Amino acid sequence: MEGETLVRVRNLRTYLYANGRCNKAVNDVSFDVRAGRTLCVVGESGCGKSVTAASIMQLLPPLARIESGEIAYRSAEGELRLDRLPRNGRAMRSLRGRDLGMIFQDPMTALNPVYSIGFQIRESLRYHTRLGAPARRAKAIELLADMGIPLPAQRSGEYPHQLSGGMRQRAMIAMAMACEPKVLIADEPTTALDVTVQAQVFDLMERLKRERGTAIMLITHDMGVVAELADEVVVMYMGNVVESGTVREVLKSPAHPYTRALLGSIPLLGRGRSQRLEPIRGSTPDPFDRPPGCQFAPRCPRQEPACDAGLPPEVEVSAAHRVRCLFAKEGRDGR
Amino acid sequence: MIAYTLRRFLALAPMMLLMTFLVFLGLELTPGDAVSFIAGPEAMANMDGSQLAALRESLGLDDPFLARYFRWLGGVLRGDFGYSLTSGVPIARIVAERLPATLELSAAALLVSTLLGSALGLASALNRGKALDQALTVAGMIGVSVPEFFFGLVSILVFSIELKWLPVGGRTRPEYLGLWDRLPHLVLPALVLGVSMTAGVMRYARASMLDALGKDFMRTARSKGLPEARVDLVHGFRAALAPIAVLIGFRLPMLIGGSVVIEQIFQWPGVGSEFLAAVRGQNYPLVMTIALLSVLAVLAASFLVDLATAALDPRVKLS
Ligand SMILES: Nc1ncnc2c1ncn2[C@@H]1O[C@H](COP(=O)(O)OP(=O)(O)OP(=O)(O)O)[C@@H](O)[C@H]1O
Ligand SMILES: [Mg+2]
Repeated sequence: MEGETLVRVRNLRTYLYANGRCNKAVNDVSFDVRAGRTLCVVGESGCGKSVTAASIMQLLPPLARIESGEIAYRSAEGELRLDRLPRNGRAMRSLRGRDLGMIFQDPMTALNPVYSIGFQIRESLRYHTRLGAPARRAKAIELLADMGIPLPAQRSGEYPHQLSGGMRQRAMIAMAMACEPKVLIADEPTTALDVTVQAQVFDLMERLKRERGTAIMLITHDMGVVAELADEVVVMYMGNVVESGTVREVLKSPAHPYTRALLGSIPLLGRGRSQRLEPIRGSTPDPFDRPPGCQFAPRCPRQEPACDAGLPPEVEVSAAHRVRCLFAKEGRDGR
Repeated sequence: MIAYTLRRFLALAPMMLLMTFLVFLGLELTPGDAVSFIAGPEAMANMDGSQLAALRESLGLDDPFLARYFRWLGGVLRGDFGYSLTSGVPIARIVAERLPATLELSAAALLVSTLLGSALGLASALNRGKALDQALTVAGMIGVSVPEFFFGLVSILVFSIELKWLPVGGRTRPEYLGLWDRLPHLVLPALVLGVSMTAGVMRYARASMLDALGKDFMRTARSKGLPEARVDLVHGFRAALAPIAVLIGFRLPMLIGGSVVIEQIFQWPGVGSEFLAAVRGQNYPLVMTIALLSVLAVLAASFLVDLATAALDPRVKLS
């Protein structure tokens, strides 16, 4: 059903351990991914976007652990707590590929170079459908054709290195969509592609959302993409969700200093040439040595001693707009 | 493909010329010649100069270096490998007698080390850091550092002398000739040689498997909901296969050379021990023939490695 919450993430904390040190890569993250909607997760490099996605798919690196919080998936059989399923157990495996599809950032390394793309698409059909070999073959070709790949029958037999970047990413999407998953998680699917191909790939995802009601979680660090595609947006900084809400609310009246800085640091389409771009001052802190309170405090123009007292609570600016900042309400009218 | 094979074949000739010339030169530069070995120090002392000169001349050792090289080369091109300077037996016959034994032993050992090494390396990588991995790493280190001859002698002591399960040495009993009857003789030397070669394969297989396990496509495979065994084997091990095949390929030349140490310990009538004697005796027709075969084997192996790599990795094109 359109708008129904399929994946509910609540107070998720995922920590990574390296050399005896703990990186609180995802620290109290909550959001919903809804059917027929696109949720954009945005934030600069290292803020925990990929770890969040990997937590949902349970594809975390070995030394990572979901410490607390919940990830609930509304399956056909009822609600499932993904965070409680064994990582590579039968239940999780049957969801991956069938209910939850994932597209990775770099299709060059994410596809296995020694197998044809047809083979790699057929693999998920083999484990999640009852189709026989000839039917799988036909279905793989049909999927490639659906993704707008010319000569799909021939392409199906080709290896990843024989395709262009855009074709590879389409093949990747075809693979993720093979069993028509209800949720599609796309982790920066277009960073490796040039702008026109990027637009084509996004068109494709829009179509899937429209035609099949797929719930899309799109990870990006590009505010332009957010403005273009998102229905809802989650802004992350250093493992926290600093601001979330409908794309209209967040882009029109950003309430967190980080979101404002992010919007101020990129040119926005349609705002003309006279935009004043300001890079965010300072640099991201060491993930192993985080600020005690608000993660953005050291770089924030509005910083006060109270910001370091502890992680600020999330406040509701409006029904569809939440912000994690002590001054959220007063700062609402902009600078 | 055919053009490629042809090209590789043509490239062989200059390579062979160069290598055989270098070996010939090496023999020339070692002090002494076949006569000093055939005659021995005592006979040398008793023979007078003219006798020695006559012997040298009869063996054709008096001619200039280049003349001898080209005479040998001409013979080889006509299919005449010459005669052993020490025994007078045709070289072709010596090789025909000895080579099958070496091939048999080396092939068996190569098979043992490939299967065992890949399996253990795979198991080690999949259990990285766990007890099994650590045990195998230690075993591998011991395997690399224990000399073959020690390992061979201990196993003869245990399996042949104490337990009497297997023969002490040799390739066959006089009355038996079929492979099946010879098998008991093959088991021990093949296992000792194979196991001592396993450690290298294992370490290499472990490293390339670990490399494959860290690749992004492994995560993609998991994201499709494939079972772990399929992810590890069909995606991981398959990707690790090409580098392992290269290592195995470069060991193929030992099919010709064999292992001198193992052949001597087990009195295996192979090429290795014969080659050693020939080098010591400056028996150049024999040394040259074995060298020629070895060079051929090395070049053939590198050709096979290229073919295998192209077959295993679609990104590689033969050119
Ligand atoms: N495999 C890993 N091993 C150790 N640390 C990791 C690993 N993956 C991510 N991290 C750490 O986790 C934190 C969050 O990383 P994450 O990859 O989620 O960021 P991201 O928002 O996806 O960044 P990007 O935009 O660069 O993809 C970072 O501090 C990063 O160093
Ligand atoms: Mg990322």
